[in-house]
Amino acid sequence: MSTLELRSVVKRYEGGGETVHAVDGVSLTVESGEFVALYGPSGSGKTTLLMLAATIKLPDAGSVVFGNQELTCLSGDERARFRLEKTGIVFQSFHLSRGATALENACMKLFATDVTIRQARDMARPWLERLGLGDRLDRRPPEMSMGERQRVAIARALANKPSMLLADEPTGNLDTRRSREVLELLREICVEERIPVVLVTHDPQATAYVNRVHTLCDGKLTDGLDLDLQVPVLG
Amino acid sequence: MRRAPRIPTRPRILGMTPAGLYALYRVHWHTNRGSELMAGAGIAIGVSLVFGVLVANSSILGSTREAINAVNGSASLALVARSPGGVDQQLAQRASELPGVQTAVPILRQSAVIEGPRGHMLAQLVGVSPLIVSLRGAAVKDLGAGARLLENGVGLPSSVAEAVGVQAEDNARLLVNGSPHLLRVQAVLDAGAIGSLASSRVVVMLLGNAQTLAGMPGRVTQVLVKTYPGRDKQVEAELQHLAGGRVNVEPANHEIALAETALTPTNQSTSLFAAISLMVGFLLAFNAMLLTMPDRRWHMAELREQTYTSRQIVAILGSQALVLGIAASVVGVLVGYVLARTVFGAVPSYLATTFPITGRQLVSIVPVIVAFACGVLAAFMAAMSPILDLRKYRDVDAMMSEPGEPGQNITGEIVRGVALLGVAIVVAATLMVLLDSGLTILGGVALALATPCFVPLLFRAATGVLGYVAHNYHGKMLAVADIELKATATRSVALACITALAIYGSIAVGGARSDLIHGLDQGISQQWHSAAIWITPNENIHDTDSFEAPGVASVVSRTAGIAAVSARQGSFLDVGSHRLWVRAAPPGNPAMILSSQLEDGALARAEALMRRPGWATVSSGFASEHGLRVGRSFTLPTPSGVVPFRVAAITTNIGWPPGTITLNTTDYSRYWQSANPTTLAVDVRPGTIPAAGVRAIRQALGPRTGLRVQTADERIAEVEATARQGLSILNDVSNLLLLISALALAAALTATIYQRRGRLASLKAQGYVRWQLWRGVLLESAVVLGIGCLDGAILGLYGHALADHYLRTNTGFPAPFNIGLAQIALTLVIVAGASLVVISIPGYSAAGIAPELSFQE
Repeated sequence: MSTLELRSVVKRYEGGGETVHAVDGVSLTVESGEFVALYGPSGSGKTTLLMLAATIKLPDAGSVVFGNQELTCLSGDERARFRLEKTGIVFQSFHLSRGATALENACMKLFATDVTIRQARDMARPWLERLGLGDRLDRRPPEMSMGERQRVAIARALANKPSMLLADEPTGNLDTRRSREVLELLREICVEERIPVVLVTHDPQATAYVNRVHTLCDGKLTDGLDLDLQVPVLG
Repeated sequence: MRRAPRIPTRPRILGMTPAGLYALYRVHWHTNRGSELMAGAGIAIGVSLVFGVLVANSSILGSTREAINAVNGSASLALVARSPGGVDQQLAQRASELPGVQTAVPILRQSAVIEGPRGHMLAQLVGVSPLIVSLRGAAVKDLGAGARLLENGVGLPSSVAEAVGVQAEDNARLLVNGSPHLLRVQAVLDAGAIGSLASSRVVVMLLGNAQTLAGMPGRVTQVLVKTYPGRDKQVEAELQHLAGGRVNVEPANHEIALAETALTPTNQSTSLFAAISLMVGFLLAFNAMLLTMPDRRWHMAELREQTYTSRQIVAILGSQALVLGIAASVVGVLVGYVLARTVFGAVPSYLATTFPITGRQLVSIVPVIVAFACGVLAAFMAAMSPILDLRKYRDVDAMMSEPGEPGQNITGEIVRGVALLGVAIVVAATLMVLLDSGLTILGGVALALATPCFVPLLFRAATGVLGYVAHNYHGKMLAVADIELKATATRSVALACITALAIYGSIAVGGARSDLIHGLDQGISQQWHSAAIWITPNENIHDTDSFEAPGVASVVSRTAGIAAVSARQGSFLDVGSHRLWVRAAPPGNPAMILSSQLEDGALARAEALMRRPGWATVSSGFASEHGLRVGRSFTLPTPSGVVPFRVAAITTNIGWPPGTITLNTTDYSRYWQSANPTTLAVDVRPGTIPAAGVRAIRQALGPRTGLRVQTADERIAEVEATARQGLSILNDVSNLLLLISALALAAALTATIYQRRGRLASLKAQGYVRWQLWRGVLLESAVVLGIGCLDGAILGLYGHALADHYLRTNTGFPAPFNIGLAQIALTLVIVAGASLVVISIPGYSAAGIAPELSFQE
């Protein structure tokens, strides 16, 4: 079982003579095959929580556990290795290389692993095909729509068959129709691959696709969708 | 009905008020301070090199012109002796009596060495008569009062006095014609007293004293003639009659034209560097601008959304480019001036012994305008590219929806088009040089223009190869580097262009310089190794200063260990706009011709001919100018009149740009009416070490001699050092260009890496570790530098061959083509190696970027 557990994690930022609790004692468990949304306004701590889950940041208190592995005690290189092998990350601004084809972009993460280039291509190609980009393997980002670019980014995140998928506002730059497509895709992946998927969003419509919604406000987590919060709706 | 009050209209530029432009510039500055400074630095570097070279070039000739005019004053014509032996002073008297002549002023100029406690200096002893004051020249108009001051002593320009370490009232040693004299320094003459001559290498004396000192009583080398208005033509004819074909009659400032001819090769070579420097500067600026391009385009799109018109956008971009161009050009001009005074300021001493060249830096308005125009133009070309977003049918906010970094794609069409343009330029340059070798320098500039044209093609090929190697040999970091390079194609190509231009300039000019030195060294070695010991009056490498040697040769020949003594002779001879170097060797000399310098003719036959009367070798430039071939006749205006000679062989110019003629000493003594040697060549007996021979000769000549006795090796070292010093400006500009390019490249690569921190952070977030990113960054930089190095080296070699062709055909310099692999390797290592070493540190730092920067929180 690949379960992501955040146990009473705290993350503080110092700045301007004051301390901001970006994440304040949050506990969260996401089981395999579970699609969980973290909802909240800007500055609520959603992305910080995602970065803690991805081991990009370390908590000031509490612990992050994946499977039976305590991640917070790993060294920098070990955490990088963990991200490389176990985690898939989807960024809001895609972070695609405009000089690379869709296939090369999807292979980008695999180039840092031990697989050969041929193996990397063989691993990434099925994902692109599955995401409907089989006829666009040689297209470069400027030749693709925004939705297609985000699907390439998702294929890159999945190419190494991660044990967990983390998506940071993946629909932030997409229109309503494309957003819906991407969210459906993430749900499918979650179910078919039986991996935990964490979605950070401030789009209330996105919550319709997930198993569970948690709202973050001032670093604290509450269950369910709190629509009273003044969150700008995209699309 | 009351009229609405009129709002005064403010002056507008393309719809923008100056205040509005200023406010927007402030915003631009605060947003893009770093890259704006980098762009400014790039332009400033280019401008400084251009300005420094232009000032250095124009200063040598300008200061010569200034010094000559300052002495000549209102004299319009001159009688000039054809040898250092001069002419009878009576000639001046007779000239002054001609109708139409207002004044005729006699002058004696002789080479001399002035020695003081701080050192010695080769200078020109100038003997002037108080009459010179009547010419009202800037340098001599106050000498009337000084005539008494100079009685029984010398006046030294402040620069000379400072160099040798003497002051007024001190004693200094003066060596003239091989004899030493102790003289009192009566006056140290500053610019206030003698104008620009204060920076000249001269020693000023009253004519009578100078004649006595030089052992030339009643002789002068020049008579300056001032005519009555409108009588020049008539007086010139009278002077020609008076000269009787034995003395040159020239415009008074003819020496300026002679100096110009002598300086032409140096000026043209450094001008090529100035052009290359400007291109490098422009590319540096362009590259820095590329860094800010996304922000600038975004900002312009925002302004357009806020209803700014296209004209206003042009005004905003133009004003920002203008501010950048002007500010950078001001800095560039100031730095260039410092460079001109320090690095490029050396006076070529091989010319300073022949022409009144001063070390004064003259800044005229032309180099300032040229440098400013170049700087502002570069800023405009680099800064105005967001203007492409103003194209018709393009959405105002089109660029905002572009993914990644815009403007980085180079299409195949562009690659092919630009490469074809490069081929066309190379072909045109080749044809141009083949049709007229005088256009070689222009060809060199054209090649410099062609150099960047091949970079996109090489870039495409390199990334193709990189991709192939990566996929077939499992080089995953190569694949990453390949992808990242393609993502930043424009910027990478611009960086490779800078590298290519720097390498091109360095290899083309550095290679030609190296060949030239090699050719000169061959001649120098051959010439001075023809005897074991040399006796000369001073360090003049051209061997044209004669000395009174009654008894010297016999004293030397009687010295223990000495086998034979023979005399060499020589002088400069003005023919047309060329000051030719005339050298003479005794007919019994085993090597009458330097075989390494032979261009046309059979060596053995030419040697034999040269021992006969009436034969001479001529340098190739002189030969082609006069349509001469081996065996043809020509005439020389000698002190005895116009004398016919026949061409025994054609040689290089043996290092003297205006041209060289070699004959035997029998002819020389006869036609130049002088038996005085300029050098004594001494052969030692078998078993005698040259150094021991030198000691023995010095002892035999005694302590009072002014002659220098050296072994062949010592003389060769001295001559080679002077020859190299004459080429030092090329060397300095070349090295500076390389150094600046390496540092600028490192800075530009660093900035490029810094700008890509977002992508690096995203790779880090996906699991890449620091050393992988560092390796990738270094790999990308190495590929960019490699492309530039390859392109620059290929075109540079071609430029090198053209430059050698120019040196041989147009100037007659000895420049045997040699690829010079060691020099090329060194150049590549300096640019690529230094850049890589410098960027490895910021590259490592960038690779350590925090992965959270890839998130938009």
